[in-house]
Amino acid sequence: MEFKLEAHRIVSISLGKIYSARGQRGGLKLHKNLLVSLVLRSARQVYLSEPGCPPEPPPAAAGHPEEEPPPPPRTAAWATEEPPPPPPQDEAERDCQAPRPRRCCCGENRGGCAGASPPPHCPRKRSAGERGQAGSPVKKPRREEEEPPPLPPPPPPSPPGEQEDMETSNVASLISIFGSSFSGLLSKEPKGRRRPPLDGGEAAAGTAPAEAAAEPGQICCDEPVLRTLNPWSTAIVAF
Amino acid sequence: MSQKQAGGPPGESAADWCLYQLNGAAEFEVSEADIISTVEFNHTGELLATGDKGGRVVIFQREPESKNEPYNQGEYNVYSTFQSHEPEFDYLKSLEIEEKINKIKWLPQQNAAHSLLSTNDKTIKLWKITERDKRPEGYNLKDEEGKLKDLSTVTSLQVPVLKPMDLMVEVTPRRIFANGHTYHVNSISVNSDCETYMSADDLRINLWHLAITDRSFNIVDIKPANMEDLTEVITASEFHPHHCNLFVYSSSKGSLRLCDMRASALCDKHSKLYEEPEDPSNRSFFSEIISSVSDVKFSHSGRYMLTRDYLTVKVWDLNMETKPVETYQVHDYLRSKLCSLYENDCIFDKFECAWNGSDSVIMTGAYNNFFRMFDRNTKRDVTLEASRESSKPRAILKPRRVCVGGKRRKDDISVDSLDFTKKILHTAWHPTENIIAIAATNNLYIFQDKVNSEMH
Repeated sequence: MEFKLEAHRIVSISLGKIYSARGQRGGLKLHKNLLVSLVLRSARQVYLSEPGCPPEPPPAAAGHPEEEPPPPPRTAAWATEEPPPPPPQDEAERDCQAPRPRRCCCGENRGGCAGASPPPHCPRKRSAGERGQAGSPVKKPRREEEEPPPLPPPPPPSPPGEQEDMETSNVASLISIFGSSFSGLLSKEPKGRRRPPLDGGEAAAGTAPAEAAAEPGQICCDEPVLRTLNPWSTAIVAF
Repeated sequence: MSQKQAGGPPGESAADWCLYQLNGAAEFEVSEADIISTVEFNHTGELLATGDKGGRVVIFQREPESKNEPYNQGEYNVYSTFQSHEPEFDYLKSLEIEEKINKIKWLPQQNAAHSLLSTNDKTIKLWKITERDKRPEGYNLKDEEGKLKDLSTVTSLQVPVLKPMDLMVEVTPRRIFANGHTYHVNSISVNSDCETYMSADDLRINLWHLAITDRSFNIVDIKPANMEDLTEVITASEFHPHHCNLFVYSSSKGSLRLCDMRASALCDKHSKLYEEPEDPSNRSFFSEIISSVSDVKFSHSGRYMLTRDYLTVKVWDLNMETKPVETYQVHDYLRSKLCSLYENDCIFDKFECAWNGSDSVIMTGAYNNFFRMFDRNTKRDVTLEASRESSKPRAILKPRRVCVGGKRRKDDISVDSLDFTKKILHTAWHPTENIIAIAATNNLYIFQDKVNSEMH
């Protein structure tokens, strides 16, 4: 458990570093960010492989109706996506923080929200390559088949503070910005975890447009991807 | 493994180091631009160059010893100061290019002038430093201000003579090697052929001719076709001191690659790969970070290489690729604190390392303004501090000790009291004598071995 906490802490620190690197004078330091991404990957792997972490929920049936009100325009691209059943799907590319008021319960105490109410709508986050196909309900079950579920069925919610999820979807969005050393995270992603957003991220979030990639020569992150992310991840993504 | 000493004074780590000089403002007046970012002696040790974050280069010259002032012998005085690089803006990528001087390398002196290469993240410049201490007077056609004389006033011819004047040091940029690098330049190294040099960024190494600025040869390219597959970057590189075809580069994974330029034009395939397998018992989240090599230096003999990673310095024998021949712990007590050091970014600090003239002692910096020396023969090491409080001129530096719990002696410092903002990243050792230059933030300390100074 300790390792899991430490791993989670390291993940949040790493993401914070990647975010703050955007404002650095002199441009992105490739070496440092590569190292941060390696740490991020190790921590994530440990976090996910540790026993006792919140497990994989049963895959949602295709065509499961969305119970939430229509998502705001920002998530319009995935409006037809089914929400995962509680606890939230731990899929790598899933953006678990939908921009809804309901989310705030996850922001405080994961334990309190899990199973208490239907989970927030979790639009599926896609990697850059699959953006064009976003919104198709057919994608979801296929993706689930592709990715082997590594975890057993969910146990009762863990005590608060420990049942925090990893916002690997944010990482995936960072990947499309960086374009470096994240392919392992994308392709072999075991189910990721949800995590309450950092406070600072929300304050900084906004309609930050896609900017020139942090790394020279990299393609910019496209608008559609940004639109579909929550405020916090948008802030991080806005390099 | 004990090495034969190549004729240096015995027991150099037992040498008594004392502060010789201190240059720089007191610490509360530090501005970021004054932070020293590189230190380099020239090949004779007569000149010492420093570069700072503000893009300036300051050159110190050692005063010739005189018997009249025995205590001022060999003092390094400011010889010249110039602005090497200015901040630039890359409009295409909307990125600012820092003016910070990453490295300075001296060229071997070939005439009366001195030359050095200085580089920031993108552009390398060749500077020529010349002295002028005479000027011609008595021209026939021009007057003292250089204006043409009225010919009717010229009644006789005179021979212009050279008259002494106050010494003027002139620094001019002779070459600007621009647009060679997409990524940040981390090292430059002058070849022993004195005609070429190489510059390395995160993914590529270029070979330049000192006289040609509009082209360079790419000799190493580790950029993957798909940047998502990137796993390591180049962190430092150096030419072999004697063999003009050999160079080494280090990687963020802790490996060294020795390349032979005779083998092929593109030296992606190394001739030798120096790598030590990781100790599985030390595995942590940060294993990869702390194994990244921050500096690599050939020994003066050319037989060994010295590398610095976050916690150790290692001596490698060029003939043995499987592991280093010597490993020295610089500050192993930090191993349990890697998470905090990751958080405050200290784990990314790039420390340099240095050999002494006879390759018998190696030196590197640490935190709390400490620096460490390891004697390869006696296997003794010492920790010294570069600080105003503990350095009285001519007083011998007292060895410091970091205690890790357990018995604590009187002047020990505990690991938790170390000041991680005071880091000694840049150090240089005089090529032949026991004189060292230590950069502590914005201060330049020059320490000398007491024996050394008494010999003069």
